[in-house]
Amino acid sequence: MTSEPQIVQFTPFSSLVQPSFWHSLTKLKIDVLKLSQDEVPVTASYAAGRSVTDRETGQDVALGCNLILGGDAFEKTAQVPPHSVKCVGTLKNYNTIEEFKDADKPALFNKLADEMWDEISSAKDASDVSEILNRFLLITFADLKKYRYYYWFAFPAFAAKPAWTLDPSGWQGVESTFTQEALSNIQSQITTSTNTPAFFVLLSNANDPSRFEIHPLSSLESLSDQDITVGFIDPSAHSDHPGWPLRNLLAFLASRFRTRFTTPGSQHLKVRVLCWRDTEAVPVSGKWKSRLGTVSLSQSQSTLSRPSAVGWEKNPQGKLAPRLADLAPMMDPARLADQAV
Amino acid sequence: MHALQRNYWAVRDYLSPVLKESKFKEHGRITPEEFVAAGDFLTYKFPVWTWEKGDASKARDYLPTEKQYLVTRGVPCLRRAASLAYTDADEDAERLLSFAEGSAASGAGDEWVETHTGRTSVRDSADNAGVIDDIPDLDGPSDSATNAMAKMSLASGGNAPAGGDTPDLDEIPDMEEELEEADEATAAPPKVPPKGTAAIDSESSRANLLQVRTYDVMITYDKFYQTPAIWLLGYDENGTPLRPPQIFEDVPADHAFKTVTIEPFMHSTSLQAALVHPCKHASVMKKIIERMNNSVIEDQRKSGTSSPKDKDSKKKWSLKRLASGTKDDKSAATGEEEEVEGIRVDYYLVVFLKFIASIVPTIEVDSTTSF
Repeated sequence: MTSEPQIVQFTPFSSLVQPSFWHSLTKLKIDVLKLSQDEVPVTASYAAGRSVTDRETGQDVALGCNLILGGDAFEKTAQVPPHSVKCVGTLKNYNTIEEFKDADKPALFNKLADEMWDEISSAKDASDVSEILNRFLLITFADLKKYRYYYWFAFPAFAAKPAWTLDPSGWQGVESTFTQEALSNIQSQITTSTNTPAFFVLLSNANDPSRFEIHPLSSLESLSDQDITVGFIDPSAHSDHPGWPLRNLLAFLASRFRTRFTTPGSQHLKVRVLCWRDTEAVPVSGKWKSRLGTVSLSQSQSTLSRPSAVGWEKNPQGKLAPRLADLAPMMDPARLADQAV
Repeated sequence: MHALQRNYWAVRDYLSPVLKESKFKEHGRITPEEFVAAGDFLTYKFPVWTWEKGDASKARDYLPTEKQYLVTRGVPCLRRAASLAYTDADEDAERLLSFAEGSAASGAGDEWVETHTGRTSVRDSADNAGVIDDIPDLDGPSDSATNAMAKMSLASGGNAPAGGDTPDLDEIPDMEEELEEADEATAAPPKVPPKGTAAIDSESSRANLLQVRTYDVMITYDKFYQTPAIWLLGYDENGTPLRPPQIFEDVPADHAFKTVTIEPFMHSTSLQAALVHPCKHASVMKKIIERMNNSVIEDQRKSGTSSPKDKDSKKKWSLKRLASGTKDDKSAATGEEEEVEGIRVDYYLVVFLKFIASIVPTIEVDSTTSF
């Protein structure tokens, strides 16, 4: 059976903005930004994808692939929740709804994408690569009188042409490849590190091949080992679709480490990818949620120029349009008084 | 009127003394120190829970600055409370009444209550052996009751969903204006649908039936009632904060607007959240703790692994443990042993979550099922 190789599909990020973030934005707007429309750095985070078992049907329900913005997003020393990956983004707040609507979104998006691509393709040290690969853009208009916040996220991701394809074996559970012991060991390495690594390289221990060690992505430069697995904290819980961060990771690998992942004698890049989803308690049942798969890219074009990038978030109706957080019911004193009777 | 009441609560909270003496076995109340101890245990065992310091200006001085309240984020909520299906609702409702109001009401409930208050162990535990098995019993009555109430109630449970989910009218034109420009703006993204969004949305279960909401759940310490209090902040499946009527969809009708109300969150200057009012927590917790405690003693007698202890000695023991201040290490070390020695105050929040799970049955706050 020679079916078409399956294209790797990625679960896009969906933004989850905590109300406390809007409170912080309100404060920032009134006390600091005032009429300034300058870009402000914000910190968000994502954690490994979770699914929950529906008690009535017994099905596993995947939860959203969330990028979370909290109340401390504007603080320079923002703490991310445990086992979460920190992302730094750019916020641009507009003073009027008209300016928000007329904003030159392609320009903003391309500027960020260019920055990201520069850093990806430049010869700079790969140690802080997670900061580069997980950037995002957020434009907002805060209607402070009505407690309404219009916002639009963009998570730029570089589209590969032709697209990455998945090996016929597809995404598999990790138990088939790793022993329970090895998995627990990997998990403890991920969860005990002070900063959860967004991306990592998994290598088997030289002395004991059943043990695996986690190395930073930058170690790819010095490694000669052929059996390399590249892992990342996967915010998606969907069994067949890894999360958005993998897209830029693959773009990065294809750009920077092209030769390392090219199988000798062929024109294909082959990367074994571990989608790590088990940052919380060790599964009691021994059922791990992480997935493993091999993706490949046929090497047809050079990647000197920046590939096109995608990633504007869709609104709940599935359209490319801004979202609205209406906090009046939770903030407006008049509405609260009504509701409290 | 409500503001007045709220101010009264604030003053009362300010004036009421900090509980010093451990009362958790007698009254179901805990001291701030015990709250911290139980919170440490909870965060140790279940890392989804973390301590938060909250807004500095709202910090309570009887709690450590770094441990003002507990929070867990993204708690899933698959269904609305009104959609839960039960049988024998009426009978169970009676039990709930008695459960909530002490020993006031109906026959079935009275029996249930009295068995536990009156005597120590034997029959209780024989009927409901095992700590875990008790919990569904507690959930059951209140769930069913709520369903019964939801069916009868015309107002809160039934009407809210229809209004709640439709976006505001003035929201829509704005978005459509924006849409055209947006399409231009992101000429590349048409690639996105085949690569991701569309495929996933149609496959994922939320497109079919379930609207998976998520909740941020906070546990604070209520100084006046000397119990923990639960706060809820909800998001719909798109990450949009829920409005109060939507939150009340997840609260069974007999709790909404009564035990659960929207209040200013006590560790923030501006945030509003749904509060499960803690006025009855202590008495309920007392009952649950007694129940669990008794069955623990019974287990211990049956197994005969160690000598039975009476309540007093255990109380002293838990007090002593508290004073020593090493809960974390010990609870980590003695996984199995603690079962034998009865309910410790460290378990308070674990038990508390099970109780809360009965008030908001569709919100899966109780991640502690391995206990």
